[in-house]
Amino acid sequence: MILIPCPHCGDRNSSEFTYAGEVHSRPSPGDARQGPWRDYLYGKDNPAGWTEERWFHGSGCGKYLRAERHTVTNEIRATRPEVGAGASSRTRP
Amino acid sequence: MSTAKRLLSGRPTKMRITSRPGEVIDRSKPVRFTWNGREKSAFEGDTIISALAASGERVFSRSFKYHRPRGILTATFHDPGCSVQVGDEPNVRGSHRLVTAGMKVTAQNVWPSLKLDVASANRAAGRFIGAGFYYKTFIKPERLWPTYEKVLQRFAPGGRVSADSPHGSYDKRYAHPDVVVAGGGPAGMAAALGAAEAGARVMLVEEEHSLGGHLRYGSETELAALAELRREVEASGAIEVLVNSAVTGRYDGNWIAILQRNLPHVTERLVKARAKVVVAAPGLIERPYVFEGNDLPGVMLSTAARRLLNLWAVAPGTRAVVLSANEEGDATAADLSDAGVHVAQVVDARRGEQVVRARGAGSLSEVELGDGSKVSCDLLVTAVGWTAPTLLLNVAGDRPVYDERAARFVPGDGLPANVLATGGIVGDGPTAALVEHGRATGRAAAERALARDGTSVTIPSLSPAPHPALYRSRTHGIVDFSEDISSKDLVSAAREGYDSVELLKRYTTATMGPAQGKLETINTVAVLAEATGRSIAETGTTVWRPPHVPVSLGALAGRVLEPVRYSPMQPWHEAHRATPIVAGQWIRPEHYGDPAREVRTVREHVGLIDVTPLGKLDLRGPDVPKLLNFLYVNKWLKLDIGSVRYGLMCGEDGVVLDDGVTGHLGEDHYLMSTTSSGADAVAHWIENWLQTTFPDWQVYMTPMTTAYASINVAGPKSRELMSRVVSDVDLSPEAFAYMQVRRGTICSVPGCVMWRIGFTGELSYELHVPAGYGLYVWESLLAAGEDLSAGVFGLEAQRIMRLEKGHLIVSQDTDGLTQGYGVGLDGLIKLDKEDFAGKQELEWQLERQGYNHLVALLPDDASVVPPEASQIVTGDRSIVGRVTSSRLSPSLGRSICLALVAPQLAETGKSVTVHLPDGTDVRAKVSEELAQFDPGGERLRA
Amino acid sequence: MRRATRAGGAPQRYSAASLFRHGLTHEDWERVWRTVEMRRSYDAVVIGAGVHGLATAYYLASNHGMGNVAVVDKGYVGGGGSGRNTAIIRSNYLTPEGVRFYDRSTRLYENLSATLNFNVMFARRGHLTLAHTDASVRTMRWRAEVNKLEGVESEVIGPDEVKELVPFMDTSTKTRYPILGALYHPPGGIIRHDAVNWGYARAADSLGVEIHQGTEVTGISTDRGRVTGVTTSRGAISAPVVVNCTAGWASLVATMAGVRLPIITHPLQAAVTEPVKMFLHAVVVSGSLHVYVSQTDRGELVFGASTDPYASYSMRGSLEFTEELATHVLELMPSISKMRVLRQWAGLCDITPDFSPIMGVTPVDGFLVDVGWGTYGFKAGPAAGEAMAELVATGKTPESIAAFDLARFEEARLVGERGAAAVGH
Repeated sequence: MILIPCPHCGDRNSSEFTYAGEVHSRPSPGDARQGPWRDYLYGKDNPAGWTEERWFHGSGCGKYLRAERHTVTNEIRATRPEVGAGASSRTRP
Repeated sequence: MSTAKRLLSGRPTKMRITSRPGEVIDRSKPVRFTWNGREKSAFEGDTIISALAASGERVFSRSFKYHRPRGILTATFHDPGCSVQVGDEPNVRGSHRLVTAGMKVTAQNVWPSLKLDVASANRAAGRFIGAGFYYKTFIKPERLWPTYEKVLQRFAPGGRVSADSPHGSYDKRYAHPDVVVAGGGPAGMAAALGAAEAGARVMLVEEEHSLGGHLRYGSETELAALAELRREVEASGAIEVLVNSAVTGRYDGNWIAILQRNLPHVTERLVKARAKVVVAAPGLIERPYVFEGNDLPGVMLSTAARRLLNLWAVAPGTRAVVLSANEEGDATAADLSDAGVHVAQVVDARRGEQVVRARGAGSLSEVELGDGSKVSCDLLVTAVGWTAPTLLLNVAGDRPVYDERAARFVPGDGLPANVLATGGIVGDGPTAALVEHGRATGRAAAERALARDGTSVTIPSLSPAPHPALYRSRTHGIVDFSEDISSKDLVSAAREGYDSVELLKRYTTATMGPAQGKLETINTVAVLAEATGRSIAETGTTVWRPPHVPVSLGALAGRVLEPVRYSPMQPWHEAHRATPIVAGQWIRPEHYGDPAREVRTVREHVGLIDVTPLGKLDLRGPDVPKLLNFLYVNKWLKLDIGSVRYGLMCGEDGVVLDDGVTGHLGEDHYLMSTTSSGADAVAHWIENWLQTTFPDWQVYMTPMTTAYASINVAGPKSRELMSRVVSDVDLSPEAFAYMQVRRGTICSVPGCVMWRIGFTGELSYELHVPAGYGLYVWESLLAAGEDLSAGVFGLEAQRIMRLEKGHLIVSQDTDGLTQGYGVGLDGLIKLDKEDFAGKQELEWQLERQGYNHLVALLPDDASVVPPEASQIVTGDRSIVGRVTSSRLSPSLGRSICLALVAPQLAETGKSVTVHLPDGTDVRAKVSEELAQFDPGGERLRA
Repeated sequence: MRRATRAGGAPQRYSAASLFRHGLTHEDWERVWRTVEMRRSYDAVVIGAGVHGLATAYYLASNHGMGNVAVVDKGYVGGGGSGRNTAIIRSNYLTPEGVRFYDRSTRLYENLSATLNFNVMFARRGHLTLAHTDASVRTMRWRAEVNKLEGVESEVIGPDEVKELVPFMDTSTKTRYPILGALYHPPGGIIRHDAVNWGYARAADSLGVEIHQGTEVTGISTDRGRVTGVTTSRGAISAPVVVNCTAGWASLVATMAGVRLPIITHPLQAAVTEPVKMFLHAVVVSGSLHVYVSQTDRGELVFGASTDPYASYSMRGSLEFTEELATHVLELMPSISKMRVLRQWAGLCDITPDFSPIMGVTPVDGFLVDVGWGTYGFKAGPAAGEAMAELVATGKTPESIAAFDLARFEEARLVGERGAAAVGH
């Protein structure tokens, strides 16, 4: 059971969270050509290593957060809130 | 009196010897149990096998493939020949499970009986059925394979389960210790003490029934050391001891699984410990020696012999040969003599002496040595070395390395900071050295767990002692006792090309049985290395996989905890014999006996349906209109307070996601409804957009699904009924029109929301009442409507009526690829909006065309209701659509359907072929309107 | 092009007679496949010695006479998903193209023992997909209807018939998720997955295909949009065709050729119990409870569930998997609570957006993919290998796999198996 350091709640079991996948930004609606749009829908980096992803703490604070996780070891080295610039991040000692 | 004489005396406990200093049996407490139906006696503290061995039994099972008789090998949990059936429990480890009064024990794998064993004919055929033989035969004719398969199945090992066994009682526990010590031998006990002394809260887990490890069956000095360690552990307030419990695995984040088997009233309990640091102290497992006849009853490991002698005071035989390559073997020879067992010969492997084969009919009678001499005996004890059970280290990422000098695998250097190891798995030494290493390791674990600077802790070195590399004699014998795999099988498979350890394991199934390689892995690797001319280090070892010991399904499942959602009106439904239907987490009334009558009630009078599961989201803030305009395909920027609107949601891929109505309740305040099954998904969807894409929008969303009880009051008399219970809202058609929302008081309950919408197609009001008043309002409405012939209706009647009206149900009339256009709501989609979820894909959908359409179908034969999912086919049987919904309409007196069909069929009046599940075809025509009942919608606007 | 040749003459036949002879003489069996020096050039390189890669190579040699083929794998034969799956064979899919494809695979499996002269122990056990909600009853009927129209045996049965087929099943209405019916698919069954891998490897080897275990592909070389070969941990190989038949590492291998795939890799876990005497003949699946279970000839129950809820390349397994699995299995069969889980393991699954594979050409000429098999790759191995071999040999995409092309994601032509997933809950 991965332990996720929620920036709002502290260390919590991953079973409290919903995995929300790689961080992809949405193409701007005015400039949506099929190629980039379909890549936004379906394309994945799917790296074997460090990746930045979103988790939703549904059984906790109800916030989305960003996590830097290693997809081979499942180690999480940092998390930060999704919303709000400059909010404190939580890094494992 | 010598054991030999006692053996002849014929008493039921003929192999029981006089009291041993470390014995764990209580001779004052006899226990009776049965073995294959015959009564047996034991003492409290006896295991099933020690009790049977005391009574002179030597054979406890038959081997898997050749059905050779099997006796005691290890006298531990992992004893491969000692699994038995206890009552309705299969595969009980007889060398571990304690005897209890009245226990019914039977042998497994003994068809037709332990003594008479026709399957032993397999032994004669042994030369033809080596490992993997089945891959090479039964190939042709293929139709015979099922017959062969049934024969093979008869030989499947294991006990029996019974369909009427009770589920039993199991439990789970969460724990948050600083340090978990896995293994309660001297090093583990010392590690627990060291960690506790340094301020940590410790959980000390031991597989056996009490702490002590090998000290328990050791010398008097060792027993004294154990007593001292036990006193210290007991005195420590910071150590929780779990005996008869095993650490079964370590998972991500030092999530430690512990199986606790020693609790009263609970068969097994799974403890899940989030340990800051875990210390692996599993000790060592003695490994068997490979030679001809090594599986005969009477051939056992030195630790097995010592355990039998010193823990249970059972003589493992009467005349012994001891093959010794280490101190343990020497100590066994001494213990045997001391207990009165005649030691006929000690074969010292360190001097090059060898055991070549063991012989005997059914059990051991003679051993042949390397010099050709033969010694008659009924006990052969082997002490040829050790295996380090490295599972915990493996799963933490460490790869063990082979130590040539010590002839065993030892931990590598790949351990993370929160896993430490101590004891025999690390190295050898006298008790004091193990204790010293354990104590220091425990202190270091505490330092790390408490996030202190642990540099002050120096862990003394503990290295494996040199040991001769003894794996196989010059004859071939059994390597995997549970799977019946011999070294000859392994050599043959390796020569055939299955020459890496993983391939060999899979091909021969060596190490795949109940002991999971604990006894077999190293010998398998050694035989493979020998066969391929590689070193053991080059050959490598297999990956140990969890769990360390088998865990019952009951323990993994724990108590049965399946949450159910009921509406506040459930007591009424139950009292009125509603037929329940499972709808996701909810259980709700499908009908109350007669759905058609319920439809008539609504169409003619007034009916109530409990729609509490409907998703309800409270939305507040100045940017709610922007949010709605983005989520739905239609326009939302202008919606007056007091109005509601229907909306359709699509995903970013244009696929229909959900639908429902949203009402504008007041200044910056909206209430959104979603489908029952979509409530959670839509709430997530909204949070996702608000938090990740539009963080500057000011919207607060609160899920209200269970905060409100929801009731739909439908039917021509619904206004009349409402007027009797609503005091503060003008219900006249002009003041409260179709698609409007009001807040007010219902049956004196303030704070209710009511909106005028109608899934059923009738004049109707959907009421959202504070949940605590739901039942009261429901009953009050029924009472108030008694003279209006008010009734109730369930989900089925609602489905019939919505089908009559042609209203789609998302995920029933649409599927995972159905995009927004084509489901009868094209007019709703506003591509001129600047942006909304799915807009791009819907634009492209429209350009591309060719998508399926949702149409209403009327079967030519009005009495035929094509079952939902009936396929619509062309003349050449290709599929061009399917019926998504169908019912017999009580209002129209005929069958009606919705169907998703290919575009060329979506024309009014088109005749299509519907292929029914019974294989017949019927014709049906595409109707002009999706709604068959009141297509103009006059009734709901009444 | 080098014609397919037998490596050392005709391979030794396996039969009861040869087994008997061997038993008498104790001569060594011929090696199941050769270990040979890797050459610098082949007509095609297949990456991945699992069932897909081996079947592709086998059918290249047997159906198209192309034996100058290397199969390279960083591990050993069948060490990935092909040796980690729960070995269930069925063809009761939802879409006509899916049903046809898996039906072809099932038929190849039914005859595979004779084709390969290697007993793969295919056991037709009957396959039950339980429905616990009226929505899933509807999906089951949908599948049954499509199956029947495609000539595949499937029917919806009621709880009483379920009980008859699986006496241990709790079909009462007292459970949390009562069983309302099931999709019964008599041709479904189980197979010995390792035997399939070894059988294909042996047969391909006998036709000249070289299998190079312990050979990791570290790069894919291209020149002006055409593939020219691969570099491996044991040196470079040049080849005009490179086929990516990996699972779990499909994205990483494709990235070496500059091809981006719509794949997320999730672990899929499985577990096996200690053996007990045979009591469960059919293969049982419950989509709502996320569990599938069958009993092997050895008496073990083999369990699987849905993939782990987050992307990962970890094969360590998790405790919560076994906990959920046990919970759900006991909901179906409460009387087996005393059976014990002996071992758990994990494999990697490459999940695509429409729960369908990606087969065929890529933007890089000569670089072909047979990937994205999610949780259903093993049962497709023979048909996929046959079709990929045809594509390699003829340069034309066979009709049977046309719907599964990579371009469908850019062109929004997704395959409807996701339809089943969307309405199955």
